[in-house]
Amino acid sequence: MASGPWWRIGWRNIGRNRRRTLITAAGLAFGYLAVVVLIGLMDGLTAEMIESGTGVLSGQLQVHDVEYRPERKIYDTIGGRDGADVERLVREIAADPVVEAAAPRVFAGGLVSSGESTVAGILMGVDPELEAEVSSLMNGMVRGRAPAAATNEILIGTEMARQLEVDVGDELILVAPAADGSMGNDLYTVSGVYQSGMAELDGSYAVVPIGTLQILVALDPGRIHEIAATVTDPWMAPEAADRLTAGLSPLGLEVEVAAWTELRPEMLDYAQLADGWRFVVIFIVFAIAIFGVANTMLMATYERRREIAVMLALGTTPFSIVRSVLSEAVALGILSLAFGAAITFPVMFWFHNAPPDLSWIYGDYTIFGALIRPRLRVEYNFAMALWTGVALLITALVASLYPAARAARVPPADTLSGL
Amino acid sequence: MNRTRTLALVLTLFSAPTLAHGQESARDIIDRVDRIMRGESSYGVATMDVVTENWERSMSMEVWSLGTDYSLIRITAPNKEAGTATLKAGDDIWNYLPRVDRSIKIPASLMMGAWMGSHFTNDDLVKESRLVEDYDIEIDFEGERDGAEVWEFVLTPKPEAAVVWGRITYEVRKDDLMPVWARYYDEDDTLVRTMTFSDYRVMGGRLVPAAMDMLPEDKPGERTSIRYSEVDFDIEIDESFFSLRSLRSRR
Repeated sequence: MASGPWWRIGWRNIGRNRRRTLITAAGLAFGYLAVVVLIGLMDGLTAEMIESGTGVLSGQLQVHDVEYRPERKIYDTIGGRDGADVERLVREIAADPVVEAAAPRVFAGGLVSSGESTVAGILMGVDPELEAEVSSLMNGMVRGRAPAAATNEILIGTEMARQLEVDVGDELILVAPAADGSMGNDLYTVSGVYQSGMAELDGSYAVVPIGTLQILVALDPGRIHEIAATVTDPWMAPEAADRLTAGLSPLGLEVEVAAWTELRPEMLDYAQLADGWRFVVIFIVFAIAIFGVANTMLMATYERRREIAVMLALGTTPFSIVRSVLSEAVALGILSLAFGAAITFPVMFWFHNAPPDLSWIYGDYTIFGALIRPRLRVEYNFAMALWTGVALLITALVASLYPAARAARVPPADTLSGL
Repeated sequence: MNRTRTLALVLTLFSAPTLAHGQESARDIIDRVDRIMRGESSYGVATMDVVTENWERSMSMEVWSLGTDYSLIRITAPNKEAGTATLKAGDDIWNYLPRVDRSIKIPASLMMGAWMGSHFTNDDLVKESRLVEDYDIEIDFEGERDGAEVWEFVLTPKPEAAVVWGRITYEVRKDDLMPVWARYYDEDDTLVRTMTFSDYRVMGGRLVPAAMDMLPEDKPGERTSIRYSEVDFDIEIDESFFSLRSLRSRR
């Protein structure tokens, strides 16, 4: 291969000043580490947001009557006024290959009162067993337990418990406008207090068994507002939604199957924005690195002016000089990449499997109503790791263009005569 | 003696211009309309029909009031709701629920909530008689409309008043001080709802509108109508009647 000697020369040249090579390679390697870990952290944050934002309450898929959203009227139950075969519907949805669990829900707005104190609440009727697999609300108990099916038991959030000054075992009154226009009201016992970490949720959602709520608001057992489902991978939800829409159509119900990407468009926007930022991160980090590498290469070629002059005097073409310098840069890039990968993957493995907990610095915070734990969680992204490697090599190459051009224009006679 | 006469003369002189004009301020007229409608105390029997997109229902009720601070409404039919009562004492509203034998206090944050599923809000019960306190009132129109001499008033909230409306317009007949309609606008000056008064007749010795219809602007076709079948004014009643204990005991 004609380029053989220039590769060899380039490769050997990086060994001539090992300390300088090592420092430059370390700079590029840390640049690689920074980019890959930063992208991993951004992906981790997005994943955390989606998991938390959909896992607490909404699920990644929701089935409603076509009329239900966005007004969420109590009358717009799945299957209209006649209702639907809820058990069968839940079974069909849970049977989808990516759906992990599905649970039926009834919603009503109403007053939750301890007598002296009253708050407006969103009453959610659930099947306690199925719901526990869909929303983490049922598992986020601070005190007590989830309400048992077919009882007048109620689960409320810590914030609502605080406002109403009640605790497990206390009595609450629910008043809700029923579907027939009457004012449904009844007494309930607090069976548990949950904490989702989101004050809005903890202060407004009250959970009762589904049948109990249907009685309160005068809805037949076949009338529900929503079936929420979780899927194995959030990004498969839109696909599953399409599949379910087709799969449920033979039932003759006018339902809408919506994935979280549709229900929470702001989350999808954020995820897409974060995707776009990856390339900005790559650009910023390597744009800084370019100057470091260019400086090194400039020094290296300047030191070797006499040697280059000799090569040119012996008949080496300026283009071959350029090639040797570029080869040196690529060799440096490959070395840096190997070094970078060697330090990056252990860090990624660590952050992915045991994310460092920063809760001693920051408390929990929320993005779009999704609770985020302050952890350095990273998601693997091999495609981006590959792209970052390519970016590193391009950086090394681009950084040495100018030094290479300078080297090729060394005037042999003047340089050798010591001018 | 002399001094008294001087004082009387001064008073006469000062008050003369108002009397001479034969005209009251807009505020005084509204205040008088309020007093006619309310009396010192009152008792009434009414039915309320609520028509919504999804259901229609009718409720019968008894209403007591004392001054501007106290009122009590007790549902007498249908059976499902019979005994349900709403007590207003000052700024507080309590609902008594016979089914669970409990009274719940409606917090300030829920004052805009619907009262008994109707198009009236809890706030309407609290604020109904406070127009002259909470609003600056001006006459916007004076003259003949639909064959009757009327005033149209514009009520704008006083800066410090805690009210929900951006503006209320109110038409009152001149000859008998009977209200014709009231229109409620939000802060963006969009018409939110219209209340109309009709079926003026003498009840309890006074001319009053026996029918009131509340029409929400955002839900065409929906309405809440209240029809009084019996009204009595200045009845024997005192503050102890409007207590939580009595709310509960008279089931």
